[in-house]
Formats: sequence, structure tokens, C-alpha cells
Amino acid sequence: MQLIEQKAVTSTTYKTVGVDNPTTEGRLCIKGMNAHQHAIHRERIKQPLIKKDGEFVAATWEEALEVIGSRFKAIQKEDGRDALSVYGSGSVTNEVAYLLGKFARVALKTKHIDYNGRLCMSSAATAANQSFGIDRGFTNTLQEVPGTRVIILAGTNIAECQPTIMPYFEKAKENGAYIIAIDPRETLTTDLADLHLKNKPGSDVALANALLKIILEEGWMDEDFIRERVNGLEEAMEHLAGVDLEECIAKTGVSYEQLYQTAHVFSQEESGMIFTARGIEQQTDGTEAVRGLLNLLLVTGKIGKPYSGYGAITGQGNGQGGREHGQKADQLPGYRLIEDKEDRQYISEIWGVDERDLPGKGVSAYEMFEKMNEGTITGMLVMCSNPLLSNPNLNLVKEALQKVKFLVAVDLFISETAEYADVILPASSYLENEGTMTNVEGRVTLREASRPLPGEARHDWKILCNIAKELGQWEKFPFKSAEEIFEELRLASKGGKADYYGITYQRLREEQGILWPCPELSHEGTKRLFTDRFAHEDGKAKLAVVGKTKRDKEMLSPEFPLYLTTGRVMAHYLTGVQTRKSSSLAARNIEAYMEIHPDTAKKFHIKDQELTSIQSRNGRITVRSSYSEKIRKDTVFVPFHWGGDQSVNRLVSDRLDPFSRMPGFKVTAVRISSDL
Amino acid sequence: MTKQKLVVIGNGMAGVRFVQRILEQDSKAYDITIFGSEKHAGYSRLMLSSVLQGESSFEEIILQTKEWYEENQIELFTGETVTEIDSQQKAVCTSTDRRIHYDKLVIATGSSPFILPVKGADKEGVISFRTVEDCREMTSVAKRFKKAAVIGGGVLGLEAAKGLLNLGMEVQVIHISDSIMERQLDQQASSMLQQELERQGMSFLLGKATKEITGADRVKEVHFQDGTKIAADLVVMAAGVRPNCLLAEKSGIQNNRGILVNDFLQTNIKDIYAIGECAEHNGMVYGLVEPLYEQAEIAAKHLCKKPTEGYSGSVLSTHLKVSGVEVFSAGEIHSTPLTKAIHYFNEVEGVYKKILFRENKAVGAVMYGDTRDGARLQEVILKKKMLSDEDKAGLLKTRDPADSPVASYSFDQPICHCNSVSKGAIIKAVQTDGLSTIKEIKKVTKASGSCGGCRPAVGELLAFIQSDTFDQHAAEEQAVCSCTDLTEDELVHQIQVHNLRNAKQVREKLSWKTEVGCPTCNLALDYYLGMIGGSAEKKGSGSQHEKINDSQEDGFTLIPQLYGGEATVEQLKKIISAAEKIPGVKIALGSDQRIHLLGLKKEERSIAVETLDMPLRSLTDNSIETIKTDVGNQICQCDKQSSIEMARRLEYILESLRMPYRLKIGLSSCMHNGAGSTTKDIGVIEINGKWEVYIGGSSGRNARKGQLLSVMHEAEQAEELIVGFIQYYRESARFLERTWEWMERLGLVHIREVLFDQEICHQLISRLLEDKEGILKQPTKAPMPVDH
Repeated sequence: MQLIEQKAVTSTTYKTVGVDNPTTEGRLCIKGMNAHQHAIHRERIKQPLIKKDGEFVAATWEEALEVIGSRFKAIQKEDGRDALSVYGSGSVTNEVAYLLGKFARVALKTKHIDYNGRLCMSSAATAANQSFGIDRGFTNTLQEVPGTRVIILAGTNIAECQPTIMPYFEKAKENGAYIIAIDPRETLTTDLADLHLKNKPGSDVALANALLKIILEEGWMDEDFIRERVNGLEEAMEHLAGVDLEECIAKTGVSYEQLYQTAHVFSQEESGMIFTARGIEQQTDGTEAVRGLLNLLLVTGKIGKPYSGYGAITGQGNGQGGREHGQKADQLPGYRLIEDKEDRQYISEIWGVDERDLPGKGVSAYEMFEKMNEGTITGMLVMCSNPLLSNPNLNLVKEALQKVKFLVAVDLFISETAEYADVILPASSYLENEGTMTNVEGRVTLREASRPLPGEARHDWKILCNIAKELGQWEKFPFKSAEEIFEELRLASKGGKADYYGITYQRLREEQGILWPCPELSHEGTKRLFTDRFAHEDGKAKLAVVGKTKRDKEMLSPEFPLYLTTGRVMAHYLTGVQTRKSSSLAARNIEAYMEIHPDTAKKFHIKDQELTSIQSRNGRITVRSSYSEKIRKDTVFVPFHWGGDQSVNRLVSDRLDPFSRMPGFKVTAVRISSDL
Repeated sequence: MTKQKLVVIGNGMAGVRFVQRILEQDSKAYDITIFGSEKHAGYSRLMLSSVLQGESSFEEIILQTKEWYEENQIELFTGETVTEIDSQQKAVCTSTDRRIHYDKLVIATGSSPFILPVKGADKEGVISFRTVEDCREMTSVAKRFKKAAVIGGGVLGLEAAKGLLNLGMEVQVIHISDSIMERQLDQQASSMLQQELERQGMSFLLGKATKEITGADRVKEVHFQDGTKIAADLVVMAAGVRPNCLLAEKSGIQNNRGILVNDFLQTNIKDIYAIGECAEHNGMVYGLVEPLYEQAEIAAKHLCKKPTEGYSGSVLSTHLKVSGVEVFSAGEIHSTPLTKAIHYFNEVEGVYKKILFRENKAVGAVMYGDTRDGARLQEVILKKKMLSDEDKAGLLKTRDPADSPVASYSFDQPICHCNSVSKGAIIKAVQTDGLSTIKEIKKVTKASGSCGGCRPAVGELLAFIQSDTFDQHAAEEQAVCSCTDLTEDELVHQIQVHNLRNAKQVREKLSWKTEVGCPTCNLALDYYLGMIGGSAEKKGSGSQHEKINDSQEDGFTLIPQLYGGEATVEQLKKIISAAEKIPGVKIALGSDQRIHLLGLKKEERSIAVETLDMPLRSLTDNSIETIKTDVGNQICQCDKQSSIEMARRLEYILESLRMPYRLKIGLSSCMHNGAGSTTKDIGVIEINGKWEVYIGGSSGRNARKGQLLSVMHEAEQAEELIVGFIQYYRESARFLERTWEWMERLGLVHIREVLFDQEICHQLISRLLEDKEGILKQPTKAPMPVDH
């Protein structure tokens, strides 16, 4: 075969032409193959690996499971039940998320389970729960987006992170919607906006308060809506009386005119939607920032109506479903609470265990590593997750993983975290794994498997059942298919907030997805929430007082004079374990980089495309600089998909949001210097 | 399934556009029949004034040729009027007593001029301005008579007036209102237009209601209600049009002013649709072309069962050129107490603009003289976009597309990052495929097809391409040389397809214009034929014998190969013994970091080669130059060993291989970049234990900095990447194409995609090694790398 490059009108394609046989001419579009590259990659683990003398050695499933079983038992005997922990993922199916929660509580009887969604969605989830009484990613369907008149995109870079849903926003723009973006950086998303509030990182609470104050002072609120459906206006007014607009302007770096315009447009148009994402959520006051923006919906009556509502843009494939069914430290399936007596009773019956044997509430994702570092957690099972890149204060996480007695990783590849594992089990990729996912809207869909499992890889749920059996718990984990697990999940969620009882595989195959809550088989699902009432007991929403208590935040100082904020690049996903393996995605970004304003760079004597050391109070990394006029002069940006000395989360502090336990990824004070 | 019968009444702009859309949506859905009352082919009424003014011929304004109807198997009856619709039997009857069955019927009968019901309106010399006959009549009258009166100061009237003026008549425009075009223009714009038209020779009688037209047989005078009168030899009635809905009315189809239709252009009778000027939707009858086109599109989609949201009415906007003056209007035109306006008035250039706002939204606009922002303003009005005061002020600032950042992009700079579509690719697509909308660009190039973030940039680029200032052209692919019309890509392809083995075959089979070619194509052919299934010898840069340079007057030169510039005592001894055998030999250190033996006589060559007993360095043009390392660089104390080792290994693998163009490699073992790696075709710098690989640099006259290809953790990985890169360059670059040119053509991302794919990269490496094997099998002594 002779390879020839051919430049077509659209893009360069790579085609193979048979030198001796011209009829074999054909094109091969590299881009079209991207999605599958990681699933069929040659470095994919296809059989269990056990670490012996520091090297991973191939093993049989029997050997691997035997080792896991005996080590788990030994650890719990030596250090107590809660010494074992489970670290879950928002990328697994609902069935696996559900089973993982049950596995931790029933098979391991440990209270320590949490998942990477904690580092992702928890502030939005907590805020929605506090303000509305329920947390579903979108209160409306995506189909309503094109019809809305004004959209606030707060800390979300949809164009680069979730390009698949971008057309809904473009369509809205085409239809005349006014789009306001809140982001310290100019991105492809802010390019779409009519107004870009380029605020200082971490100043979102002050921004939300300023907007609310302007709306209330100008009398632009929807008084009827507030009277009938919202609690807490007086407290909010009282608090806002003490909020100084000038101070907000100084804190946010956004001009009064822009704040006024935002408040005006948002309250004056007949419909409006607010979307938030990690930019405002991954803050030590992320919950308050989201609630501050939800306040705007509540006072202007823009929720529970057509073309009006809230959406938290999810980062992971099953970020929504993953947080509903018990992977979280304080939750049981169907958004039930592990500390709630009635909820405990209901779930123990479904699981066939004594309520008194159900463990209580554990700690959040990052805090598990603190416990590990302290020596109270000595074993962990990590499911399809790479906490060694995604957590804050990675130096501590690394130390913790070095200390842990026994670590099991279930993954497709040997990730940075799996390197520390004692046993690695080969998981299934999305192409091979049947199961349900719940998308950003709260729409449950069924994903059928399209490829057989490679080598000796097993389904994620099967692996959990296997380990449970090893621990003598097989009768509680008798599942033969994902659907059998879903059937149990339906029952477990019945009557809960995220009620899946009316959803079956058959309905999902017929109906193209169903939005929860769906309490009955005859129920068509819930497309729009809060049309009549909110989910708090009295049916009303709660207006929040935010920014009253000063949160411990990263501040600039002469020693650390710049803000660092983090984010994604379009070509990569999460910690890059999957996408860095794809040649064409890697081709787009070969490494991490530091986006910096040229003026700032000159001040710190950093040349363009030069290796730069970035140092915070927590650590140090080295990445190449990249000049950009699109970023604030007091801020630098580094994407988080890369590991090793490019791992930006090494710099992030261990401070957490008091409500959601979310780390403050999006703002760190740093200093920079040329590495040469 | 048998095709359904679709009958269209009306062969005008609406009918023809509708049929075009039907064919686009589903060309197999219907058997189509069209009736047209006029005996000509359907023509663009919009362009009639242009015919009248002598700017176009009738042939030029014909909508579709006879051949088009034939090709699409459309049955066309011209000069035949449908007189009756039998909706019970689903058939139409015509003026020639033809009766035709339909399954679906579309009425597109348009409108007729409104003839004022005044006495004398039937006199000779009173005509309307609607058909091509009217134009002909006016043209002939103009030859015999002098004075023309046009009744109606709207768009149509002014166009007729201008035409008559051009035909040499004295023209008076009579208008019932105080200002012309008052439905489209405000007072200011109207009076500016009037002044301009007066300057051109028109005169106006405003606020005049016609009472009577007098004359014997032929018109002589026009009398007004106020008792005044004027003399006229020709009266053109241009006081509006009436929808042609008589046929519908007598067939029991509901009418008001026009034929009543719903959002899918359906009338009250099943399977009968109405579109265009004869139709009334939501209380509106449209007389402009855009609404008509929108309706045609929606009706066609509906009839082909394609999804459509239906017709929701059109915002009235007018964008016209009246007697050489651009005017635009949209939405509300006249100020009220609730509106606020922003004006721009430039008397010097004759430009006037006004935008009306109600609170935060633009509700109307009028522009005179400069209407470039029309489309933008119309969109703002249509979409009820929220505007800040700043936005409002900005609306009147005309944006010059040449000021847009994309205008200054280089051709290879990407516009769409998702699908890596460069500026050049878009320009090329626009120019070669004649694209005119973002949507078309998206379809052809995929730009803005994924996340859509680049839509504004694509739009700006398109506006720039369409602007007058744009004079760039996407580089046309050049033919190899004047001996052929084939481009290099086509040539390579043809060589493969026809399995051609030598230059003679190529010239014969591919119809070379010259018998023996020229130096340009001979060298190129030599290279391509060598690369495509050629012998090993062709892929290498020559046998040992060829490596002895004989071009210099003072004798031959020999360069013993010292890989990586490193020599053993053994090798030096060999060189010394060879030199000792040749009296008068000169020994010099070349800029290539090698020892040169100079000034050999012809007969001394073989003894020298024999005594040396080591490989010689190639002297032909297009191969790898000796690899530059940072050995001897004194600016730092860093260890240089790694670059020497890499150079030695790479030189051994790469020497003697043919390249499209000579290739320079620089290897630096430390960040001080002693080998100038960033200005080489391929450069490596070892920093922090990692290997940064740069490509496409050049230290030639057009010096340029290399781009970072990748950062590798191991020296071995870096070497594999380099070898893969070189092979891909060899296989896909054009002859004499520099690495940077090649890179610009392919794109850095594409090159990475290929090389980062382990399968492809390994294939590339093994093919390079095969070529290398072949060279080694030549009857010369195989060199071995120095090994420590």
C-alpha cells in the first residue's frame, strides 16, 4: 500500500491507494474514528493485573478476586469496617452507580463511599436542593432553549466543553435571545454572547448580589410570583440593604453599566434561562454562587414556565444519573438520604438488610484522601475514575495513595491512579456496556452495547458482583444483566425525589428517553419542573441570602500575585485517560499550557511558548506559556487534563465549600516564573 | 407508487420558484403541469424596469429555459388561462377547453395592476406597468410622443418613470400623498429621493388626486380634483395592484382581499394551495419577493412531506435601488410619541439613516444612500433583540468587513477549530463553488458545522470575500510545468492508477505536450517514479560511485561518512592511510562537520575508496544534510552526549534516502539550543529530560521558526516520530516542496493525527526502513554505525 496525502476542499484527509490495484482507492477520515479510538486502543487492559514486586503481572480473574477478597477482609479485620472505601464515577451507568452504592453499604458495610461527581456537580446539586427542594440538572427540556428570550451562561464554556448541545443555544441566538456570558476568559462561548461579564475569578457571589440588588431597587421583580411561590424575600432585602454596589464592582471588576444592563435585560424580557457550570460551582462558595443566580430566576418569576428555568451543564456522560442513586456519601437511591430514618428503612427492606446494619454518612471525595493520609482509611476500590488528577491538593492525594495498604482500580487503561493500585481489573467501555444514563435534562436513556467485550474484560456491574461473592455476599448481588439491576433500582427509587419507578428498558427502547420523576408506568415523565409547586414541603422556593458569611478563599498577595483558573479544552475529556489515547484528539492539544495575557507575561518576563513554572501555596507545575489577549490581566488559565508535572490540580488548595464539600478548583493564587 | 399529479396555475416568479423547490425537496414526488396566461416563458417581473431602462434584454430576465422544463419533465402550457377549478372532481379547465386532473393544486396567479376608476381610463395611451407587453408599448410610445404622466409615486411608479425618462420622455409623477414612497420612506428620506429624482429630470405633482383623463381616442390631458390639469401623451397607472383571486372566488375558495391560506399555504379546500401575491395570510397580502419565496419554500416542503414549522408571516422590509439610489426600510417608519430615534444625516454624501426604538428594542429603520447594514438591522428588528444604549448607537456604525480580524488571517490559519477548516479552504470553496451563505459554507467545508462557535468568524469572512475590497484568491493548483496540464497531485494519482514505471510511459500515457519533457518535469518525474514503486536505487541518492563529487575543476572530493560527526581512532587511521596514498590531496573540515578529501584525480578515486573502506557521504542535492548537533557549543556547560548519539542513529537510518527537498536537522541536548533546532526542518531540544520536537523551521532566506510537533519522554520515541515524519514527508510532499510549505498545506494537526496514530506511524517507519534496506542491498559496501 502506498499512502498518499490528499487535500480535499474541506480538510486534509488521509487516503490509501493500492499501488498495484487502483480500484482499492478509498478515503479514511481520521476524525470520524476518534470516538472509538480509546475503546480499541492497544494499551487497553484486557485482563486482570496484580502488582508483584512493583510490576504489574497478568493474572486470572480467580487469582485477582481471591487477592481482593482476602485483602479486603484482612483490612476490615485490622482497621475496622470503615477502613475500606469506594471511589465512584459520574461516567458509569445508572445501574453501576446504584450497585456501587449498594456494594459499599451492603457488601463492604462501609460508610466511606463518594465519587468524582463531588468535584464536579455538587455545588449545583446542593444549591438546587436548597433553593428548589430538588436537584435535576435542567428544570426544562433542551428543546425549550431555542425559544427563550435571554440566557445567562455562568462559568460555562459550552462551545468547547459540550459542543453537542451548542446548537440549541445558537438557535436561541438566531431567534433573537440575548445571551450574557459570565467568564474571566474569552472563549468560543463568550464569542456567542451579546454581553460578556469578564469578572475576576471567584467573584460570582458578589456579582449575583449586585444583579439582585439592582433588580429589586429598580422594581423589576415579578411581585405576584414572589408573593405566591417564594419565601425569604424580606431576609434577602435586609441583607441586600447592606450590600454596597461600589464594593461589588470592585470585587468583580465588572462595570456598573454592564451589571445594570444584565439586570435590566434579564428582568425585562418575557422569558429567561440561567445555566451554570464548573466556573462558578468549583469554588469554596460555589453553592452560594449558584443560589445567588437562582435568586434572579425566583424574583423575576422565570422558572416553572415555558422557556424559563435553570440548567446545570453536566461534565460527565452520566453526571446526572451518577448522583441520584447512592454513590454520594450521604445519599441512598432515588435521592434518598442516608441519615433519614424513613429512607433508611425503605432501602434496607429493598436490600434485605437490617436497617441498623446500614452505615451512616461518610465524608466527601477529597476528604477520603485526607482520612487515607491520616491512616483511618487503609483500602480503596476506585471505579472508572482518576482521582490522582482530578482532586485538589494532589500532593496530598499522592501521598495518601502511597500510604494506602490496598488499592483496587477498575479501569480501561492504567491511569495515573491505577499506577498505585495493587490490583487492576479490566472494565468495559461504553461500546460494550449496556445500561441507562441520565443526561443533563434528567432524561433517562438506554444505551445498548454495540461491541463484545475485548479479552477478559468484564462489565463493571459484573466485577462488583464478583467481589461481593468473594466476600460471601453473593445472594445480595445475584444479577445476571444490567436490566435486572435496573429493575431493583426502579423499586429503590420509588417514592424518592428521583423516582424511576415508571421507567423500564422496554419503555426506554420505545420512547427515546423519559424525564424523571416518572412514578408510574403510565406516567409520561416530567418535562418541566415546578409548574405548580416547588419541591420543598410548603411548595415554595427559598430565596437565598448569599455572601453574608465570608468564605475562606484564595486571595492574591505580593508573594502570589496572580489568579489561576482551570478548565477544559475541546479535544479532551475529564482527566484525559481516554482522550489522550486518541491520536487525533491528542493532535489538537499535545500538552497542558498556561494561557496568559501578553502584558502580564512581559511583566513577569515570560516569553510566548516557553516552559513556565507556576507555584501556589500547595505545589508547583511546569507548563508552556501561551499568549492570549482573551484572558484577564490578573488571571492565568491552565487546562486540567494532563498529569505529572503538568497536573494543575497540584496547585489547588484543600479548602472546601461548606455545603457541597466542593474544592475551590477555579481560583488559586499563584506566582509564575520562566523555567529556564 | 404512482406519482401524484401536481398542477400549478401561474408561470410567474411564485409558480416557478415553487416548482424549483419541489424538485429540490423530492424530484420524484410529482408529475408537474404549469399553466401561464402570458404566452412567453415565465420572467422576473422584478427585472421589468431593467428591461424598460434598457439594461437587460427580455431573454436575460427569463426565469427558466424551455430545456429546464423538458429536463425536469414539467408539462408547460403558456398563453393558456385556467378558467375554472372543479374541486369536486379535482380538475382544472382552461381557456382552450382543456381539462386536466390534479391531485394537488397550487394557485400562483399573482396580481393585476389597479386601474383607477376614473373617466377616460380606457383611452388609448393609458397603460399599466406589469407585463413585458407594457414595456414594449412604452418603448414604442416614447419614439412618437414626448410627455408622460405616471400615476403613483410608489416603487413601481418611480421605476416606470425612470424608464420613461431614459427613453427620452418628459416625465411627471402624480402622487396622491405629499411624499413619494411614503409606505417605505419617512419624510426625510422621501424628500431626499425626490430631490435626487428631480435632479435626474423627473418632476413631481404631489397631493394630486386624478379626476379624469381626457382626449379624443388617445389621451391628451390628465385632470385633477383640485381643478388643475396637465398635458400627457402617455399615462402609466402604477397605483397599486390587486390580487388575482377571481378564479378562486368562483370556484368556491375562500377569499378576502386575497385567497385565504393557513400557515402551510393551504386554502379552505383540500389539496388546493395558494402562494404569492394572490394569497392572503393572517390578514396580509405580500407584494414583495422575499415573502413569496418563503411561501414557495414552505408549500413545497409541505407537499413533499418534509418537516416545516409553517409560514409565520414576513416582516416587511424593502431594499431597493431606485434610479441608482439605494434605499432600505423595515418595520415602523414614522416616529410616534412612544418611539425614540437615532438619526444619521450626511448631506455631503447624501446618506441618511434612521432607526426607531421602542424602549430597548429596534422597531423600524429607514436608510437612504448607504444600505449596507440593511440585513443586520432587519435581523435586529425581526428578532426583537434587547439593546443597550451602547448597542443602539453601535447599530449605525457600518462595519467594514476588511477591518474584521479574519481579514488579516493568513490562508492557513484555521477559522473552524472543530473541523480544522482554514481561511484558505473557505475562500477556495466560496470562489470555486460560488457559495454565498454561511449555511452553504457549512455544507461544503463543514466550517461551523460542529460547535458553531466560529459562525461569526465565518460570517465576517464571507462578508469580507463578498466586499469590494477583497482581492485575494485561493492559490490555484499549478500544473507541474508547461509540458502538461496535470497538477502534481493529479500526476501522482495518474502514475498510480495507470501503474506507470518510467518517464517515457508517463509522457506517452498522460499526453505530455513535449516529447522529452523539460528539466522541471524530468526531475519531478524522476522523484515521483522513484517514490512510487520505483527501484531502491531511485529512492536512494545514488551509489557509492555517485558520491564522489566531480563537479569541481580542481579534482574530485571524497567525504568519509562519520555518523553524528563522531570518529574513532580506527576511522581516522583509515582516512590518513587513504590520504597518504594520494599525493597532493588536501584535507579540510567542511561546514558539514566532516573531513573532506579534496583534489583527487580521476584515476586516484578507486584506490582512495578502497583504502578508506568506509561509507561515503552522499553529495546529491535532495537528501538529509549532516545533522547539526550542539557539540562544541561553548555557551553552556551542559552535557552534549545525547544529541551526538541521536544524530549518529538518525544519520545511519536516513542517509542516502531521497527527499523532496534537502532536509536540515538540528539536535540540541540542552535548552540553550546550540544546534539552532528551532530553525531547522526538524529540530530537537532536550529540556527537563523530555524531547521537544519542532518541525517546519528554516534558516534559509525566508527564515522561519519551527512549530512544536510534540514533546516525547524518551529519545527513542523522539527518533521514531522523526523517522515517521520524514517518511510521511517523502511520500506526500511535492517535489521540491519545503517542509514548511508542506506543513502549511497539510496542517500541523493533520500531521500529528497521522504520526500519533501508532499503526500509521509504524507503517511509515517500516516503509522507510524498506527503502533503506533496498539501498543497502546495492552492490556497495554496507556501512555499519559506530558502536561504543
